[in-house]
Amino acid sequence: MSERGWEVAALEQIVGPRARHGFDWHPVRRHFGIASFGVNANVAREAGDVVVDEHDEAGGDGGQEELYVVLRGRAKFTLDGEDVELAAGTFLFVRDPAVKRGAVALEPGTALLAVGGRPGEAFVPSSWEHARFAVELSERGDNEGAVRLMEQALAERPEHAGNLYNLACFESLAGRHEDALAHLQRSIELDAAYRGYARDDDDFAPIRARPEFERLVAT
Amino acid sequence: MSAAYEVLSLDELDRVPVAEGLEWRPIRRRLGIRSFGTNAYTSERVGGWVVEEHVEGSGHEELYVVVSGRARFTLDGEELDAPAGTIVFLPENDVTRKAVAEEEGTTVLAFGGWPDRPFEPSQWEWYFEASEHEPERAIEIMREGIAELGERGWLLYELARHEARAGRRDHAREHLTKAVELEPRAAERAGGDEHLRELLP
Repeated sequence: MSERGWEVAALEQIVGPRARHGFDWHPVRRHFGIASFGVNANVAREAGDVVVDEHDEAGGDGGQEELYVVLRGRAKFTLDGEDVELAAGTFLFVRDPAVKRGAVALEPGTALLAVGGRPGEAFVPSSWEHARFAVELSERGDNEGAVRLMEQALAERPEHAGNLYNLACFESLAGRHEDALAHLQRSIELDAAYRGYARDDDDFAPIRARPEFERLVAT
Repeated sequence: MSAAYEVLSLDELDRVPVAEGLEWRPIRRRLGIRSFGTNAYTSERVGGWVVEEHVEGSGHEELYVVVSGRARFTLDGEELDAPAGTIVFLPENDVTRKAVAEEEGTTVLAFGGWPDRPFEPSQWEWYFEASEHEPERAIEIMREGIAELGERGWLLYELARHEARAGRRDHAREHLTKAVELEPRAAERAGGDEHLRELLP
């Protein structure tokens, strides 16, 4: 943060990892260090591109209400199976975290702002934000950096099964095999679904032959 | 409001004139958002305000997004050209901020909240809205605010003011007395109000 007490940026100056389905992700919250609500922007390059990954807010960190603002272009949202087309200047407020939501761009350059938080709770950044940056670091060969990011995520949300699992992944890749086994074990203790994920996860290739790993993923 | 989701266009938002061309377009209150504050501000004329000059007394950090037109921000005296797509973040609540429209129909979205505690709506949301209505409806709006936030100094003050406008002097006196107990600055403001001056305890 600058000493002048404020910061300014155009959306295009806020650069983040490209998202899994291809839209440009602009991590506004992380760029500015916003600590009171979550806010990011997604920009599709082409019509037909996914601009919001299908998800709900009931799982994972859970419980967020979300406001989407169409800044440019036009998007087709699908909300629990119902299609809704939104033009620039439209707000979509998803009050119920259980609603399955996703969107595709109907015009090139469609840009959305997504803002979220949990009613009645002080804001804590979503774990996936850290994980997305950690994946980018890992893909560039910086597995130690990825471990540090996930350690930060774990400090914000201790005993979070997803954070423990992701930390174990990057520790495995970074050669910290004992730590990886310990964190994977704890993630499975908290959520048995991670046992199945670990069986097929290439990140655990460095420890796959260890007897401890075999015991952890055994049914 | 209980629907699982809701769609609303900028054009459908209410327009509450505030000052110097600034129109307040309530979003949070309209949609029932409970985890952060958000509103839009529009000026249809060049030179009109799109952010009223203020420091953020609530302690909120604030994010502004210029969604249409072009604004000129003044932040602690420093000017900033902000075309549509510009995002301005103010983590420090004591920065004096203001913005004017450089094009007709400029609209700025504002988002805010506290970094270290759960969000709750600002009292001004109710008294801004009430200010647009005749006294009986304004009283209802202020009672809605008290029902949501509990008895707060400025909510009670504005309730008293509208009750005084409606000629309900006993209620107004009672609520003004309570308002001053909770918010001592209300006494000074009441001293300058033609409806409340004579009801001060």
